[in-house]
Amino acid sequence: MTDFPLSLLGVALWAYLAGAAGALVFQRFEKLANGFGFGMAAAGGLCGLVSCGAALASGMPVASRSIELFPALIPLVRFAIRADALGCFFGLIVSLLAVPLSVYSLGYARSYFGRRNVGVLAALFNLLLLSITLVFLADHVFFFLIAWELMALSASILVCFEHEQDESRGGAVLFFVMSHIGTAALILGFLLLFQASGSYAFTDFHALGAKLSASRRGGVFLLFLFGFGIKAGLVPLHIWLPAAHPVAPSNVSALMSGVLIKTGVYGLIRVCFDFLGAPPQWWGVAVLGLGTVSAVLGVLFALMEHDLKRLLAYHSIENIGIILIGLGAALMLLHSSHPMLASLALIAGLYHTLNHACFKALLFLGAGAVLHATHTRNMEEMGGLAKRMQWTSAFFLLGAAAISALPPLNGFVSEWFTYQSLLQGFGSTPSLIRLMFPLSGAMLALTSALAAACFVKAFGITFLAQPRSAHAREAREASLTMLLGQGLLVAVCVVLGLFPGILLKLLDPLTHQLIGERLSQRLSLAGGLVLSSGAAQGGTVSTLGIVLMLVALLAVPIVLWALFARGARTRIAPTWDCGLRGLTPHMQYTATGFSKPLRMIFKALFRPRREVQREYDLSPYFATTLRFESHVEEVFQTRVYRPLKWLVLRFSRRSRALQAGSIQAYLIYIFLTLLALLLFAL
Amino acid sequence: MSASATAPIGSQILTLMAALMLVLQLFIIAQRRLLTNIRLFAIQSLLLAGIAAVVAFHHAANHVYLVAGLTLVGKVVLLPWLLTRLVYRIQIHQEIEPLLNAPSSMLIGGGLTLLGYVVARPFTSMERLGNNTLAIALALVLTGFFLTINRRKALTQVLALLTVENGVMLAAVALTTYGMPLVVELGIFFDVLVAVMVLAILVYRIRENFASMDTSKLNQLKG
Repeated sequence: MTDFPLSLLGVALWAYLAGAAGALVFQRFEKLANGFGFGMAAAGGLCGLVSCGAALASGMPVASRSIELFPALIPLVRFAIRADALGCFFGLIVSLLAVPLSVYSLGYARSYFGRRNVGVLAALFNLLLLSITLVFLADHVFFFLIAWELMALSASILVCFEHEQDESRGGAVLFFVMSHIGTAALILGFLLLFQASGSYAFTDFHALGAKLSASRRGGVFLLFLFGFGIKAGLVPLHIWLPAAHPVAPSNVSALMSGVLIKTGVYGLIRVCFDFLGAPPQWWGVAVLGLGTVSAVLGVLFALMEHDLKRLLAYHSIENIGIILIGLGAALMLLHSSHPMLASLALIAGLYHTLNHACFKALLFLGAGAVLHATHTRNMEEMGGLAKRMQWTSAFFLLGAAAISALPPLNGFVSEWFTYQSLLQGFGSTPSLIRLMFPLSGAMLALTSALAAACFVKAFGITFLAQPRSAHAREAREASLTMLLGQGLLVAVCVVLGLFPGILLKLLDPLTHQLIGERLSQRLSLAGGLVLSSGAAQGGTVSTLGIVLMLVALLAVPIVLWALFARGARTRIAPTWDCGLRGLTPHMQYTATGFSKPLRMIFKALFRPRREVQREYDLSPYFATTLRFESHVEEVFQTRVYRPLKWLVLRFSRRSRALQAGSIQAYLIYIFLTLLALLLFAL
Repeated sequence: MSASATAPIGSQILTLMAALMLVLQLFIIAQRRLLTNIRLFAIQSLLLAGIAAVVAFHHAANHVYLVAGLTLVGKVVLLPWLLTRLVYRIQIHQEIEPLLNAPSSMLIGGGLTLLGYVVARPFTSMERLGNNTLAIALALVLTGFFLTINRRKALTQVLALLTVENGVMLAAVALTTYGMPLVVELGIFFDVLVAVMVLAILVYRIRENFASMDTSKLNQLKG
């Protein structure tokens, strides 16, 4: 019986592998490759979902076995996986997304029929799912790194799936380069850990921090923060994210934003809580600070975007920031020995990880459907889609409400937990550093408000009012499978929002493993329908109660209407147009116009530049042509990365002189090295 | 004849032959005619085979006889024959044109030999037979390496590489207890043979394409 969830997990891995192989074999027959590839991915996701869910629900023991998938042919490498609570939880996230994304892809990939090799798309999609799952489960350094690199490779190939566009290739290359720099840091970190443990098994890394000197521990932490921070899209290491996510096929963007960047979060939790243990204060401060900065900057950059998918990519940075606020608070609270509060903060971060995976995937799928219908990512060319794509717009609206943390949806629950842990954290320590908590809380509040503003813009400009282009006018509703995929994710968002008790129970083994606390009993009252912050002075909230209250309040206007307005005359007339001859799309609020107040408030950050050219014949009030340009500076690209790139290129050009192309010169290099080594040995 | 009685004689023979190998190496550095160079290399290899035979006899290690035999067949007969044939086939200019002139080459060779002796000094106690064979082996490797840099023509570079290989072999025979494992030695022989054949073909091609064997002209290949 104990082997049941694990063996099913093995089935999931084989299903992904079979899906990848099958899709490649059948690539000549597009429909078969599409059906088989994404079908197997969905089946694998279902198996993974059931097995991880069952394992977590059974309240698994802390010490879980490590099993070898297949015997290693190479020395030093063991292909071992271990499904502990942390791995299972992240496995649950990837499996939970695999099902709706695969269903969606069945319809989405049809638009590639006859143009592209759908078999390759399905195969790489399966490979990406497989490698991400293995990253979460790997129990051996080299196996982890192999899975990690496989993930980066398959993802970067998927990013440039539409490879004839410069943008796609550029995004893929940037992702590839950043990912490799991160991996280099990870390898160094693992080697330092190996020095202390003498083994490459993750099991032996547990609580290794006690054996390291303080400075070395700090070095290991920084290396991992850098390496995993790149993958998570932490500011200022985030630049690959808005470049790579938008250009990938939308189902892949959803997978990348939903799960791939979470591998960084997973790695940080694994290293900070499992490997190193007992964090010094500055770790928590660093993570909390970086998280706060990422959240605020992420949403500010998102506000300036008119590209629907880039906007969503920037929101991923914001949400990673919110997750890290939870993690950082947990680290700080763990340092001041408040394990219960630390567990609360960790739960907030983990809950938000799952929530973000769900609603961000949902939003990317919605954006994919819109892209599919209008053939553009530019919001200024959309509009009026709510009438043409009713289901998609409804789903997108729900996703937007969830990401803006509006009750009763899931985003609200996790942000509520984050606020609770920050508020209670203020009382956890007498030192001045406690000011971090309310500061971060205030920034989080700002972030939430800006996120709501951003999604008012995204939804309003994209779906409401009149179509701004011919493409938008001719948009059609997405196919049934695409809608089904989005619908499934909406259902998950609603369930996670209304019944948070379910997930809290599943998180119990995780906090028990990492911190040694089980909190679900304290956090959920009334059978999980009411949430409590677990402390006497903290608050309680019930999302289900809010819904019931809303339904009850709905009765008020109906009653008022019945009492006073029944029988009043209703007149149906066109919208007031100030006496002009009808409204045209040109009169509508644009995305640029909507975000202008914020652009002005944060002028120091955006450095907006605009250019207006006006040509007129008689009077400047009657222009014949008008050209308007508006730019926002991408601070990190221009201020950090461009000088860095310039330096690297200059160094490379200089060092090219070494490669003279003459055999004698090369021989001299070798000879001089040999002599130097000999003299060094003396 | 017991082993203890032969020890000083064997040791002396070994030292003599190793020293002759070094002298031949210095000859090769100063020499300017290609065919003479090949012959000098053949004699050096013959001495190596002799050393291997003495070691084999002394330690009654039969597989080292095999090494001696292979050296004799491969490096004394086969490779010089191959190289000589190549020289006639491509009708090459007989004069070697080194980058540095003979006196300065000799000076550098002498310096490298000195370095070899200095580096090998801590290990002399590990030698079983002969004095300073390891130092000579190191000197052979270093001067051979210098030769590959100093020569322009691909063919002479091949020859220099072979003297490096002789040095490595000398170190193996002189220092390790029973030579290297037989498999490794066979592998090295095979490697050298194949390398020379490949290089011979390469030399022929370079000659065809550039109408010269001067590898310093290969930098025209750079983009």
